[in-house]
Amino acid sequence: MSNTLGMYRTVKRLGIPDSNIILMLADDTACNPRNKFPGCVYSNAARNLDLYGDNIEVDYRGYEVTVENFIRVLTGRVDPSVPRSKRLLTDDRSNIFVYMTGHGGNEFLKFQDNEEISAFDIADAFEQMWQKRRYNEILFMIDTCQANGMYSKFYSPNILATGSSEVGQNSYSYENDNDIGVAVIDSFTHHILQFMEGIDKTSQKTMQDLFDVFDPVKIHSTPGVRSDLFHRPLSQTLVTDFFGGVSQAEVFLPLIDTKTSMPPNGLDSKQPRAQDDPQDDAVDDDSGVFPSIRGSYDADLLALSSGKISLSSQDGMPARGARAWTSIALVGALVVWVGIRTRAKR
Amino acid sequence: MFSALIYSFLFLSAHVFSIHAQEFFQEQLTLRPHRDGTVLGHFAFTTLLKSATPREPETIRIEDTSQHYTLFPLALGQVLREYAITELHLSLNAGKWSYDRWGYPEEDGVGTGAELWAWMAEGPGASVDERWRGLRSNLAGLFCASLGSMDEQRTTSPSLTFLPEGDLPGPSTPYQLRHGTLPSENVCTENLTPFLKLLPCKSLSGIASLLNPHRLFDADWHGMGIHVRYVENAGVEVRLTFQGVFDPVRYSTDGKRDWSLHSIFDRTIQKTCPVARHSKIRLISTTDAVDVSPAPNTFNAAFSVYDVNTVSKPLDISMQWSNESHFEYPLSLDSPPPTHISVRRTLKGTEQSRGQLAIVIENHQDKQIKASYLETMPWLLQFHLNSIQVKWNSAPRDDLMSIVSYIPPVPHSRPTLLQSVLTLPPNGTMDLTIDVTKPFLRYTEHPPDAQRGWDLPPAVFRPLIIANDSNLRRLPRIYTPILLVDLATPDFSMPYNVIIMSCTLIALIFGSVFNLLTRKFVLTKIPNEPPQ
Repeated sequence: MSNTLGMYRTVKRLGIPDSNIILMLADDTACNPRNKFPGCVYSNAARNLDLYGDNIEVDYRGYEVTVENFIRVLTGRVDPSVPRSKRLLTDDRSNIFVYMTGHGGNEFLKFQDNEEISAFDIADAFEQMWQKRRYNEILFMIDTCQANGMYSKFYSPNILATGSSEVGQNSYSYENDNDIGVAVIDSFTHHILQFMEGIDKTSQKTMQDLFDVFDPVKIHSTPGVRSDLFHRPLSQTLVTDFFGGVSQAEVFLPLIDTKTSMPPNGLDSKQPRAQDDPQDDAVDDDSGVFPSIRGSYDADLLALSSGKISLSSQDGMPARGARAWTSIALVGALVVWVGIRTRAKR
Repeated sequence: MFSALIYSFLFLSAHVFSIHAQEFFQEQLTLRPHRDGTVLGHFAFTTLLKSATPREPETIRIEDTSQHYTLFPLALGQVLREYAITELHLSLNAGKWSYDRWGYPEEDGVGTGAELWAWMAEGPGASVDERWRGLRSNLAGLFCASLGSMDEQRTTSPSLTFLPEGDLPGPSTPYQLRHGTLPSENVCTENLTPFLKLLPCKSLSGIASLLNPHRLFDADWHGMGIHVRYVENAGVEVRLTFQGVFDPVRYSTDGKRDWSLHSIFDRTIQKTCPVARHSKIRLISTTDAVDVSPAPNTFNAAFSVYDVNTVSKPLDISMQWSNESHFEYPLSLDSPPPTHISVRRTLKGTEQSRGQLAIVIENHQDKQIKASYLETMPWLLQFHLNSIQVKWNSAPRDDLMSIVSYIPPVPHSRPTLLQSVLTLPPNGTMDLTIDVTKPFLRYTEHPPDAQRGWDLPPAVFRPLIIANDSNLRRLPRIYTPILLVDLATPDFSMPYNVIIMSCTLIALIFGSVFNLLTRKFVLTKIPNEPPQ
């Protein structure tokens, strides 16, 4: 449970609002009478970080966490009466981060100890999403025993996947909290969260940097990365593409310059974007020397991103458009029983 | 220039809407110490949308007027308008309210789990059931609760017990009640978060700043509620409530029952909520000799009142029993008991197919009381009405119970609704028993933790009339604790065993038959080996 909540806290800290996060928790650990610390779920045995906090929204909980509901959320085939907060409202410019944890085995993950989702189910759901243009890129992360089997069946484009352990390997918890009597967090997730703690919205760390911190000795299992479906080099994919709601400042040449210097196709792709924000008109009557800046963003972000963006404006929009207008949704998933955290079996 | 225009426009529009609908917000915290050392804290945040009326269902198909509120919670207002809800009550509670120790609660709805009931006008636009379904799923999304699973198998219309608390507009408009319970729903921070977001001052200032989830969910009993009603000549009123029974003795290190706001909530009131017209803390007086600090603004025999808007901050009300070195739990319950009647309900029988529901009702009054008795039982437990036995002080008295309405259950689709009126003679005990059947469930109807059993909703009692009493007060509803029923649970690995077993048998039989059919048996003569 603290795995998922840790991820939830991280993406929320990096600027993704609750409305873009779908959190599924099968257990009521925080307010269960057996929890000695009501309303709290701690990230480690030292209990210095309460992941449940004062401000949490759980979208699916208890018996609602089923394989059916999970697939329905992904593919968008939900009942008309399902409220917006329980839907994955994404389009072909959305980056999605899917995190799952629980008890798993070779190519399956258990839900609620009575049903399971197979690698084929998820792969087919992702393909359906691709055909329905429900995502731009997906980061799939899974922390279970034999996790890497789960992403072996993917066949849809633009999916980056990572798992905690190879087929045949167990995934181990990081530490035990003897006061509560359970293991609190898993090694793989703990080390990812450690890395993420050093990141803020302006970070230029890439996915390659994240995958480089995987240390099989520390994690006690061999994490895997699957990037053959992913079209961008990992060293140019920012971590905040998936984990952060980063509003990009866009710097573009003044209109007069654009008309003269840019080729017509570049102009075309720019035109509708410029109209997105009515404030543009007000800003644009600056002198033509300085690039005008859209929106109001803090200086740090601006400085960092301006270089990059002026670069990419030459070689076309797609990569940048995706980044600038991405709403990232997290489908945090799952968690099985609180008491059983040790992964020694299987 | 442009911005000046915008500002003037904003100002004008705000001015226009303030004429249209005046909104008043007030907040109140009631603190009530109990004899067993616990303290009841009851928060009520009331927003009144002056001279507003609920939407008429005739207009449900046409575009609604736009909604602009300054204090009224918009997220809730949208749901109310969308489904044309006249009156709505949602409560999410955890724990068992002990009437014998704590008396009547400040809010009636204390049944464990989730309870939702709504009065809706009938209309041609959309049926009441469609709107009820929409309301459920929208509230589920708004409050992070599983209300979506409060489906037709849990919905009834018990109009005898759940009377509207406000007014229903239109003298000739027919109204319908929908009521549903989910006894196994748990309450936690994720429910409180959206609750706080509906308040104009969130949890930043005023009384709401005391709502600290880590302490609230540690209470012996806690529950939150959303109540919407229409009051004629006033408007639409939304009341958000939170109740908790806190145990200062548990928190104290020296075993005393002294408490303060800081010791209960781990917070004090630092600021006032500027939009609150009234912001009051009411402290119910006790019979014990206690020191209360600071001194209240107004004071009478029943309670003392603090006006949070004027009192000096930070405000930390405390109550001390200075002549008591150590708190001792009272060995006996209050006499006379704090409620008019007390009720116990149990499910007897160890079998997985049959059982008996037994209810014991005690009338503590010297007067005769009538009480409505309501069961909204899912079809998981089916009553045999012919087996109802009523005893008064151990003597059979079947005449004391009259059944007002009974809707039998339909397996897999509809719950039972049993509404009856009990006549309770003065000072005595009624024993009521009903035989019940526990049906078989389909394989797929079992929850993931099937061995745990099923939670059954509470029975609801409501003392109706007090004889020889000229002023007929509206008495609060009384909820029994929920029950857990153990239904016959299959061995979930059985289908797989059967499949494996039959496959093995088929393979064996088919293999040997196929073998017999295709193999040719011929006699061969082995020539004698010539001797070497």
